[in-house]
Amino acid sequence: MSAVDLDSDAQAMLKVAAGDRQAFAWLFDRYHASVARFAFRFVNDRERAEELTQDIFVKLYRHAGTYKPSARFKTFLFRVATNHCLNEVRRGEYRVSHTSSETPEGEETGAVEMAGPDGDRPDQALAGRELERVVGAALGDMSARERAAFTMCRFEGMAYRDIAEALEASEAAVKSLIHRATLAVARRIEELQAGTAPARSRA
Amino acid sequence: MSCGFEEDLTAYLDGELPPARRGEVEAHLGTCAGCRATHALLRNAVARLAELPAYEPSPATRRAVLAKLDALPVPWWQRLKVLLRPAVLVPSVGLAAALGVALLMAGPGPEAPDELADPAVMELAANLEVAEDFEVLGLDSAEDLEVVANLHELEVTP
Repeated sequence: MSAVDLDSDAQAMLKVAAGDRQAFAWLFDRYHASVARFAFRFVNDRERAEELTQDIFVKLYRHAGTYKPSARFKTFLFRVATNHCLNEVRRGEYRVSHTSSETPEGEETGAVEMAGPDGDRPDQALAGRELERVVGAALGDMSARERAAFTMCRFEGMAYRDIAEALEASEAAVKSLIHRATLAVARRIEELQAGTAPARSRA
Repeated sequence: MSCGFEEDLTAYLDGELPPARRGEVEAHLGTCAGCRATHALLRNAVARLAELPAYEPSPATRRAVLAKLDALPVPWWQRLKVLLRPAVLVPSVGLAAALGVALLMAGPGPEAPDELADPAVMELAANLEVAEDFEVLGLDSAEDLEVVANLHELEVTP
């Protein structure tokens, strides 16, 4: 993110603090996909991810008056997002469903299914779904902080420094979280490639 | 297969190590088969993760969020900003000043503080403008009040 972007984000957020709805809509359009991806990886459920995304942006608007432009806006946003997801999971309102992506009858709920690009061959689509499943299972086995750090790093491309700021942790701690999480995912993928991955997510 | 370098392998892959440590890790990878295998495992995982389809949120999210904002009460910081606008604040200060002058002109009431019953204090009030002209500050004694009351004597008559 360039300095120009940072300035425009910060300026927009300050306008939001003054009650400017257009500035809020601009920030929403710019970042809601990132927040939704983060929420989806956190709970592994489309519907819950939508609800969390809405709640996070409403919270962002309500607390706009506390924003200080000294922090990068994206970092501030992900701090709000992480805290909200962690709180919701702790309160038990959002049971993380990484390990429950199938019904007792064995039917897929669609929780971890995402459509591949048009034109995918069936075997490619299947491989994509299997990959999604094992990544989801690995995420479900992680601690919430590992999951948050891993998601910000691998799916949002955030720097360790920014992740540390979002998690209010040291960079050394973030390095350790991301290493453990990536290694866990790597081992699941290795099992998948070797054909030794469990056929279904663990309940 | 774990060794002192293993935890740095992911940060190395992500380009997050400082140059000196990066050099050390590279040198170590040349000598440690275990770390080479872990590095390959991690590199493969990061490449496969990039193949995952991106999650796309519902287009209805925007409408839902804006509707929730409409239902919110006006936050305190916005109410405060409205109250502190010059268009609101200046007339308010003017009104307060007018009220203050009116109370002063009406004189002390039956429950007025003792200070307002003191003629010297009333003299000070009457001469405040003169006192400000002479930059008299910190008046806190009867002598000060007397000086203010007799300031006209210091004026040079032609």
